[in-house]
Amino acid sequence: MTDHEHLERAYRRLLAWYPREFRRENGQEILAVLLAGAPHGQRRPGLAESADLIRSGLWLRLWPSVPRSARTVRAAVKLMYAGAAVSTVNLVILLALTVDIKGSASWLNTPFIPVSIAWSLAPLALWLWMARETGRGRNWARIVSTVLFSAATLDLTEVFGPPGIRLSLVPVIAGSPTVPVLYWLVGLAVVWLLWRPASSAFFRPPGYTQAQHQAQMAEFDHQAQMAELARIRARVPRQA
Amino acid sequence: MAMRAMQEATFMILTALANGSQHGYGIIADVRDISGGQVRLRAGTLYTALDRLRADELIAVDRQEVVDGRLRRYYRLTPAGTRQLADEAARLQAHAAVALKRLDLAGGMAT
Repeated sequence: MTDHEHLERAYRRLLAWYPREFRRENGQEILAVLLAGAPHGQRRPGLAESADLIRSGLWLRLWPSVPRSARTVRAAVKLMYAGAAVSTVNLVILLALTVDIKGSASWLNTPFIPVSIAWSLAPLALWLWMARETGRGRNWARIVSTVLFSAATLDLTEVFGPPGIRLSLVPVIAGSPTVPVLYWLVGLAVVWLLWRPASSAFFRPPGYTQAQHQAQMAEFDHQAQMAELARIRARVPRQA
Repeated sequence: MAMRAMQEATFMILTALANGSQHGYGIIADVRDISGGQVRLRAGTLYTALDRLRADELIAVDRQEVVDGRLRRYYRLTPAGTRQLADEAARLQAHAAVALKRLDLAGGMAT
């Protein structure tokens, strides 16, 4: 194996950190840029370069790029991250309460504590997972989100029932309905946004790439450019 | 809405494209030139930024070529990208002007 092939293989391994769709669309190009920038005789990627590729790949996995034209989906994804933030706060409060209770733990809630902590990780994971998959344009994520919201709605009716520790998708903090209701409203807004006609254009069958979306938007872009040109022309005074 | 400061990498990429469409490696070389070797974009950072800028519709793919069996895309500014770069450049210039004036470095201040 030549130095060049060795280096190319190492770069390919690093590109595995990127989401698959991104790799399919940009992988060849990034590889060409990396190889073009490598000094002659280099056999392995530099440390800083590797770190940059890993960091960028993870970043794109966590925050998928949603096109600006899909405004409703962008808003829904942001709200899902807000939901994840609420889940995190809930988890912290639950942990604090647990430390409090532990001293006077009764036989009833002792085995229940680890279960309820593990359970409250579930909504957090679900929010993050749904945000990611929705951002990638997965139609099933839209359906699963809606099903989860329905389940949370059923849970919410219980919040107003007798107090007690329950396994629930909706966070329960010290018997106050404010947080669960707020949480549920975020879910409602997400589901509403996901089923707007503007969102439906974004959810495509598998294999639909940003390049295809871009091609569709090209016509729109062309019109915008023509309009911009007309505006600029209107501003420039005509010469007699 | 208050305008958020643009990241330097983003600003430099848009500036590189203000001169016409360029491919990835061309952008890296151009950014190095215009910054006098100060800003060296790495491939990972560049393509993450290009992906975001495309999603934000500030840049678009101008054309594609196949070079040595590999796809090469040329990117260009969109009207929105041009506007955003112009706004950011004006903002930076205004700030720099104040800084230079206070430091007494702008021409004609010393008497």
